[in-house]
Amino acid sequence: MSLDTIMLLVVVVPVFGSLLLPLVGKVCKSTRNGLALLLVLVSLAGSLMLIGPVMSGKVITLTFPTGFGQMMLMADRLAVFMALVSSLVGAIIVFYSWGYISHYENQNEYYLLVVLFLGAMMGLVFAANLLILYIFWEITAIASWRLIGFFRSPAIVLRADKSFLVTFFGATMMLLGFIMVREQAGSWDLPAIKAALVGHPLSSAAVALILLGILSKSATLPLQTWLPDAGVAPSPVTALLHAAVLVKIGVYAYARLFVVNMPLPEIWQTIVPAIAGVSALVAAGAALLETDLKRLIAFSTISQIGFIFLGLSIGGELALAGGLLYILMHGVAKGGLFLCAGIVEQNTHCKDITKLGGLIKTMPVTAIAFLICTFSVIGIPPLGGFFSKYMVIAGAAKGPHLWIVLSFVGTAFLTIIYLMRVFVMVFMGEPKTELKSEGSPVMVWSVALLALLSIAGGLLIYYPSFFATEATRQILGLIP
Amino acid sequence: MTNNLMYFAILLPAVISLLAFATRKMGKVCAATALLGAVVNLVVAIKLFGQTAAVHVPWTSWGLDFTLRLYSFSGFIVLAAAGFALAITLYSLPFMAKREHSGLFYFQLLLSVAFANGAALADNLILLLFFWEGLLITLYGLIAIGRPGAWKSAMKALVLVGVSDVCMMFGIALAGHFAGTMQISKMHLVLTETGPTLAFLFLIIGATAKAGALPFHSWIPDAAEDAPLPFMALMPAAFEKLLGIYFLARITLDMFALTPGSWCSTLLMTLGAITILVAVMMALIQKDYKRLLAYHAISQVGYMILGIGTAVPAGIVGGLFHMINHALYKSGLFLSGGSVERQTGTTDLSKLGGLARQMPITFFCFFVTACSISGVPPFNGFISKELIYDGALERGGIFYAAALLGSFLTAASFLKLGHSAYFGKVSEANKNVKEAPWAMLVPMLTIAGFCILFGVYNQLPLHKLIQPVLGEHRLEGHDYAGWHFNIMLVVGTLVVLALALLNHFIGVKRSGSGIGAADHIHYAPGLHQAYDAAEKGWFDPYELGLTLARGVGRVTWGVDRFINWVSDGLAVGVTAMFSYLVRSFHTGSLPIYLWWAIAGVALVIILLVKVN
Repeated sequence: MSLDTIMLLVVVVPVFGSLLLPLVGKVCKSTRNGLALLLVLVSLAGSLMLIGPVMSGKVITLTFPTGFGQMMLMADRLAVFMALVSSLVGAIIVFYSWGYISHYENQNEYYLLVVLFLGAMMGLVFAANLLILYIFWEITAIASWRLIGFFRSPAIVLRADKSFLVTFFGATMMLLGFIMVREQAGSWDLPAIKAALVGHPLSSAAVALILLGILSKSATLPLQTWLPDAGVAPSPVTALLHAAVLVKIGVYAYARLFVVNMPLPEIWQTIVPAIAGVSALVAAGAALLETDLKRLIAFSTISQIGFIFLGLSIGGELALAGGLLYILMHGVAKGGLFLCAGIVEQNTHCKDITKLGGLIKTMPVTAIAFLICTFSVIGIPPLGGFFSKYMVIAGAAKGPHLWIVLSFVGTAFLTIIYLMRVFVMVFMGEPKTELKSEGSPVMVWSVALLALLSIAGGLLIYYPSFFATEATRQILGLIP
Repeated sequence: MTNNLMYFAILLPAVISLLAFATRKMGKVCAATALLGAVVNLVVAIKLFGQTAAVHVPWTSWGLDFTLRLYSFSGFIVLAAAGFALAITLYSLPFMAKREHSGLFYFQLLLSVAFANGAALADNLILLLFFWEGLLITLYGLIAIGRPGAWKSAMKALVLVGVSDVCMMFGIALAGHFAGTMQISKMHLVLTETGPTLAFLFLIIGATAKAGALPFHSWIPDAAEDAPLPFMALMPAAFEKLLGIYFLARITLDMFALTPGSWCSTLLMTLGAITILVAVMMALIQKDYKRLLAYHAISQVGYMILGIGTAVPAGIVGGLFHMINHALYKSGLFLSGGSVERQTGTTDLSKLGGLARQMPITFFCFFVTACSISGVPPFNGFISKELIYDGALERGGIFYAAALLGSFLTAASFLKLGHSAYFGKVSEANKNVKEAPWAMLVPMLTIAGFCILFGVYNQLPLHKLIQPVLGEHRLEGHDYAGWHFNIMLVVGTLVVLALALLNHFIGVKRSGSGIGAADHIHYAPGLHQAYDAAEKGWFDPYELGLTLARGVGRVTWGVDRFINWVSDGLAVGVTAMFSYLVRSFHTGSLPIYLWWAIAGVALVIILLVKVN
């Protein structure tokens, strides 16, 4: 099988395979569940197979002449890195869903949308053309709209509408920006745009418009409020939104567009880190007061996305590599936190942390997994989050904006406090609810696996760090 | 071979800790595994001591390399840590037996040893930070497995030390940036430029906070009550002092050239002096054996920081010597407290008394270590304090005065502690108390023996351990070993000790009991109110920090809600108003619609004509 076929399969198999799931579900539920996981695993396996070639310096492309350009898909190190992270965390989330979603109705729809969502993410990651990117971008928006409103009550549907409208507003602005890029560069194809823009920086209006799209998708100030509201979704969906896929789309698009292909004017290296700094601080402070478990973790996501943006936008090899590594480490740890929250929510029917307590006695595995993921997000070694946080802070400290970095140091303080507060309030102290036993084995295994991945990511830091630095050097043009 | 041994020093305790974890439910097997781990670790540490070696394995392109360096200083720290680890493991065998979570205790103890060895041997700043911050996990875990409710203290410790570690991370990032290397032994930064000075300050926060200095100290007294006692002897008394002061010395001696008279030096000395006085004032009024010791564990750090901060040879030698002395006498003191706790079931001083007759060996160990911490000749604490006084006096009378006042209060509080626990009447409940088992006494006696040895024959530690750290050129030809002190300083010390004794007798006479010996200071006008406020936690940096964080939270919560209102309220409202406006055009009257259409067509025609 040629490499471009593999790349195509990584995208096409989940996107079109997802359409089969409701049909299979009519016949046999467990086959459907297995098939859903298999489709995502195909993406994971395909991404793994692409590691070797891209690390040896190949850039895999798939061209197909159409009315709007030549390029369709392209795999470089950045794309493969991102595809691996998404499909890995996505596969664990689908596995967890076997246990979680079995209690609810409309399972066929659920699996269809989740797999379609992940497939669209793969398409977006490998997209080499602005329009292709936009199409997949909107598929994820539609899928997430339906998934957030999965429990059909009117209040929940309203929240789903909000998240759709906010991200759709952003996406429309982004499309306007894309059109302006097309006018300036004369092509939709990213490589052609890159060539055309050498020496002619993009107009600030186009940058601002595209940035609106990115910020809305990555839930960054001032377009962040939909994310905590989206906490009404089923827990695996929130994990998918926050950890693996949706919010990472924005940061990935930032890297793909502004770091790789359309270098930004100097001034944006101050503006974007400043936005990220404010966003990280505001969300961390809000997390300190929030009492709803899932909304709280959502605020934490907004805050951590700020760190990723800092890494990607401030410039310099170390910060950029740190930002990429952060995507991985945060994805794994935050996924774990949400899935643990899902177990707690499903067992106790309570999301208010002031009404929970003492759960470590009956749910030890969930509690320890939650603690390990918490430590990883805080950035305590030997967990993976330590390295990514260090790299981002150290990379940013090399730059001229010491005040912005100091604000992130302050945010890191708040992170310790609000995350430990959650852990302590939910798992320590005196039990306030009727104590229930652990969740189903499938769910407990999933969170344990994510916790173990957080540990492995730290102890075996050599491999992810090597991948991230090599990707960075390719992005910066230091190596082919 | 030596290189491999360095790997072993890190890997063996880690691997054996996993074995202890695997056998955590099998009481004695787990304890035996832990003892084996501690012994093996000590053997490795002894083999390493006195050698020099370096390992450099390139790891990443961004500064993190696996670089270890074994030399006089790091070998000394590893050896000392290994000694304490073994003594405390041995002590824990009877102490932790039959307790819940004893398996988790041994697992985390050995893991701490692995992290501490790694931090001492690391020559790469990021690698050092890795091991250093890793200790946060065992710090949290070891406190949390204490008595029910200990998780509160555990969280307090994690937050305070975690915040200081983030500061240190930032300092390390800056230092590496300005030095152009992450290798500690290759760094040469100067304190005359803004950038490196900023790096210095953040690194100092990390190092002094680990050692337990103000303002990151307040978890220690809480942990003393909540955590299992051997933890106190291991971490706050020994490991954290060794590592914190070790790194402080490396910052001031190796990475930056701290000079006497620079404002950074004065800053360090001030921090030291404040730490001594504030903590010892709090220690004086405590009515709990372990809590009183915990405040001294903070206070004594002040002496080390003061000594190293002087940046003159006598002060530095004194500060480093005080580090090892402190680790000895403070872990000895905590262990004596543990033996009292195990035999009587309490550490509340009001319920203790007259134990000297019932537990003579414990009392002997307490006596030696208490004399040592109070600076009574000829014990080890006397020697190191004299050296620190010497250095402090060279830099300014005020620092000497602060240190001397600290010694007065230290002596006073130990007279109070000793009197109320070991003399006086035996309470009804303690009538049948017996001496602690031998497995607990042996480590205590060993430590007490070292306290005497390091004082009487101070040539041994000074020549073998401390002075090689500074090297010939920094010592400027001095040799501080032996018994030739500035007579004035010795007289000053003796006078202060005599005053402390006098003060004690006055206090006992006034209050009528040993435990009230400090009441006349506690309830003195002015101090009384300050003490009340402090006891309520008004000055606790943790509480203050949380209040500040909550304040920040409230502001940002408002910002977040405002933005939410813009999207949920304002945007919706504007849309609704717009649609209301447009709807009012749709009256249902056909003639009006026709007029709209004609007007529209006319507009299009006009525009077309204009364009053409």
